[in-house]
Amino acid sequence: MTVVRQTPLPRRVSGYVLLIIFAIIFIGPFLIQLATSFKTPDDAASNPLSLIPNPFSVEAWKQVLGITGIANVDFPRWLGNTAFIAIVLTVGRVFLDSLAAYALARLQFPGRKLVFLLVIGTLAVPNVVLLIPRFLVIKELGLYNSYGGMILPIIADAGGIFIMRQFFLQVPVALEEAARIDGASTFRTYWSVVLPVVRPGLLTLTILSFQSSWNEFSFFLVANSDPNKYTLPVGLHQLTTGSLGSTPNFPLNMGAALLATIPLAIIFFIFQRHFTGGQLSGGVKG
Amino acid sequence: MAAIAAATCLVAAACGGGGSSGALGSGTGANLQLMIASSGPAETEAVQAAAATWGKETGNHVTVIPASDISQQLTQAFAGGSPPDMFYGSPAQFDVLASSGLLAATGGKVRDPTDFYPPLIKAFTLNNTFYCAPKDFSTLALEINTDLWQKAGLKMGDWPTTWAQLQTDAKKLTSGNVVGLVVQDTLDRVGAFMKQAGGSYQNAEGKFTFDSPQNIKGLEFVQTLAKEGVLKFPKQVNVGSGDEALGKGVAAMVVEGNWIVGDLKTNYPKIHYVVVPLPKGPAGAGTLSFTNCWGVAAASKHQAAAVSFVNYLTTTEQQLTFAGAVGVLPSRPSARAAFIEKFPAQRAFIDQADVAMPQVTTQGFAAVQASFDANIINITSLKPAQMLRQLQDFSNALGS
Amino acid sequence: MTASQLPTRGEVRSAVTDKPETVPSRGRRKAVRGTQGRAGWLFVSPALVILVLFLVIPILLALYISFTRWTGFTTLFASNGPKWVGLSNYRQLLTTNGLTRLTFATAVRNNFWFVVFTVPLQTALSLGLAVLVNDRFLKGKSFFRTAFYFPSVTGSIAISLVFLFLFQGNGAINKILSTFGITGPNWLISTNGVFWNILSVFGVNPNNPPGWATHTFWGIRWWDWLAGPSVGMCVVIILIVWTTSGTYMLMFLAALQNVSEEVEEATLIDGATSWQRFRLVTVPMLRPTVVLVLTLGMMGTWQVFDQITIFGPNNPSIATPAYQSYAQSFNNFSFGIGAAMAFLLFLLIVVLTYLQRKLIPEDIT
Repeated sequence: MTVVRQTPLPRRVSGYVLLIIFAIIFIGPFLIQLATSFKTPDDAASNPLSLIPNPFSVEAWKQVLGITGIANVDFPRWLGNTAFIAIVLTVGRVFLDSLAAYALARLQFPGRKLVFLLVIGTLAVPNVVLLIPRFLVIKELGLYNSYGGMILPIIADAGGIFIMRQFFLQVPVALEEAARIDGASTFRTYWSVVLPVVRPGLLTLTILSFQSSWNEFSFFLVANSDPNKYTLPVGLHQLTTGSLGSTPNFPLNMGAALLATIPLAIIFFIFQRHFTGGQLSGGVKG
Repeated sequence: MAAIAAATCLVAAACGGGGSSGALGSGTGANLQLMIASSGPAETEAVQAAAATWGKETGNHVTVIPASDISQQLTQAFAGGSPPDMFYGSPAQFDVLASSGLLAATGGKVRDPTDFYPPLIKAFTLNNTFYCAPKDFSTLALEINTDLWQKAGLKMGDWPTTWAQLQTDAKKLTSGNVVGLVVQDTLDRVGAFMKQAGGSYQNAEGKFTFDSPQNIKGLEFVQTLAKEGVLKFPKQVNVGSGDEALGKGVAAMVVEGNWIVGDLKTNYPKIHYVVVPLPKGPAGAGTLSFTNCWGVAAASKHQAAAVSFVNYLTTTEQQLTFAGAVGVLPSRPSARAAFIEKFPAQRAFIDQADVAMPQVTTQGFAAVQASFDANIINITSLKPAQMLRQLQDFSNALGS
Repeated sequence: MTASQLPTRGEVRSAVTDKPETVPSRGRRKAVRGTQGRAGWLFVSPALVILVLFLVIPILLALYISFTRWTGFTTLFASNGPKWVGLSNYRQLLTTNGLTRLTFATAVRNNFWFVVFTVPLQTALSLGLAVLVNDRFLKGKSFFRTAFYFPSVTGSIAISLVFLFLFQGNGAINKILSTFGITGPNWLISTNGVFWNILSVFGVNPNNPPGWATHTFWGIRWWDWLAGPSVGMCVVIILIVWTTSGTYMLMFLAALQNVSEEVEEATLIDGATSWQRFRLVTVPMLRPTVVLVLTLGMMGTWQVFDQITIFGPNNPSIATPAYQSYAQSFNNFSFGIGAAMAFLLFLLIVVLTYLQRKLIPEDIT
């Protein structure tokens, strides 16, 4: 930096005041959520703003963790489903997307341009348009109400292919040339030479895939109606809008919503850098 | 194999619901799935207990699936091609399921098919076929918080029996945070006032009659009470339902069905209240009824076993068990006397069975009703005649 | 992250014309092509099969369904399956007076106001946050950046439940308002447009519209078109602005960092004030990002669905076309109408994106 000018004090003060106000707006709801999950339903209803539960109650958490049973509600199982599906989807997407992306970025094969146009074309189709169509195909294939039906249709996605392709395009060609001269097969070149180089891209894709599969709602809403296969977002939705939700139990709702948020939050704080980096290279989530 | 089944049948006392349906057999060894819309643990346990007993007696097995949103889950299960063998069939879905050939016509096959209240049979009949046996039913009555009643200086036992009395009592009961009358903002409540004014949803030929002068009169009465501020809708007093309004003491009177009894017992045990018939309107007494049936899927391989199970579920004894656990009324008139004896406080509900108007079952009506319901909250600034005119137009457009 | 991660047109164009960078020497080209051809198809086929089977075919199927009447209960190709009705569903949505059209037009109206408020707000807020966080004289920036971004990470349903609680009739938000002496509305159930509410403050009765406003367009009175978002919809607007600003902030931040590296030093020496610098240098350089955020924002806001399933079912002034398409199909057993709604929405998004591109060019040359 050539010139360092001291900003006037009032400006710095107003800057901090603004930052703090916005920090309260952005973090406050989570604090209220956390506090409410330790309240009694009555306390939550009469003191919705208070951050100190009075009396302190773990009843909601007992229900969330399955220690106290509620009819038709099984949060631990839904958490397990969410984790299982998110992991399978993430592994699947990272593998299939990068494989396809490599071919589209680097391999010369007939019809390549057409395939790429198709990938780009599907990117432009809004998710909403896909709800009914996907339901139809799952139903016709007999995959309705199965983990397969929940996983297969979204185990490869055009967005992921597009992001990975951008990463592969940045890899110097010389690297593969050298490997090829050594007589390595195409897959081997891809697997042991190119993939290690695009590790940042893979990590980005992993995190984006995990985040979006963990939070996926609309597709699972139409792909499955078996409570044993609910993921947390669908379970939460049924809890509040279905016949179970006639009189809302706010501490329970807040605790259950936290259950869906905490694992993701932990991963977020560990891989923060890659989250933010991923958003920049890959566009945004809706 | 048949011999074994017959032998089992002879041993099991309750087989075929008293043995009258021996011809149908009870299909030993069937594994039935039953999807229910449970109002809570009490209902789930009651159904599970009934399933276990019947299963043991007949050598079948029943898996009870409590659905959190039965309408959606059932739709998707049918659409996905894997419906449960049995389920709670709602009037809203009855029409589409029956007309698509997805519902087995079991109504006429159960024991004593005429021993159900006629409006209930009508609700589950399409093209002269009685499709499924009414499970139970509920009617609306007036529930009054007796503490608030006395506090307002009103005499116990002097309950409102006419619209005029309802209006003056509601006025007296409204003070401070207490609203005289809280009514859910849905056709499923305000429709009762339309019936009391001599109105109806459909005429004998099934044509819609929403815009009749009688219906308008009924809705205008609701509007009058709302304008006076003595009638409010639950959302306006920050509660979710009439039950909650009465339970929390924000309403002195509510119009709710028999489910309120169990709800108050569980959630607001300290409330003192009475249940009385809805006050008479210009055309006399009137209320609404709500019902479900024991639906059997046409795709089920165990229809005979399902019918036998329905027979068991509709015995007087079982109907009374459900009445106690869930707060419903027995669908068979033959169980009426025993019900009144066991639950005298709920007499007002079952006594109104003959003046109860059932819900509309026409396919697509749910959406039409939703559009009407959404406007009720603004009733003080709308014209009842216009609201009903639109309801009539939209209903007429169904199926066209 | 399927459809929402949309590349910009520029990216797409350059991507399509990109030649693979492998250019083998003339002699070996043919052999390499052969092995690469096989490998290429082998690599691409698993993903391709998934995309074709679960994206391309389904869309064609749904297009077919949109021309039929179908309850969803029967098999697609059975004799009692979908019944061809031609353009009837589209006519019911666009021209025939009735509940179907009213439902859809109301949903489009709701969504229109939602977009009109959400897109500018989220763009302005995220830009503002980015400028704040980018200020090199403030400390603790990474903490604030994390705080602002965190809501974007959480799931739509979980966060909607939190807002459902905050905006209860006697919830936290109204508690805060009451400390300022304001009686908050019953947010989630109010169906009144906010413009109506403002007018009623000035003594205009919203239930007594002037004569011209009682004429209808697409089955809805002009008075209702002009009502603005309902109070209930305002909650969804606040929720979406709150959850998306963090993401867009990061995009602006990246752009701002480019600005400072490349240009700012030069202008610093010129002695321009910081406001001049922002207006004359930073804003023009941010233009492509603003366009990107506006485009992504508009595409996203016309598809809002998850949050509506929580807030909307009991309040028709919150329902959006995306939600109604789902509700028509799965709750009202009219898959034909539902599919037709989805395609009309698709068409609307395509047209609006095209118009936006025309009206706000990405680069000023």
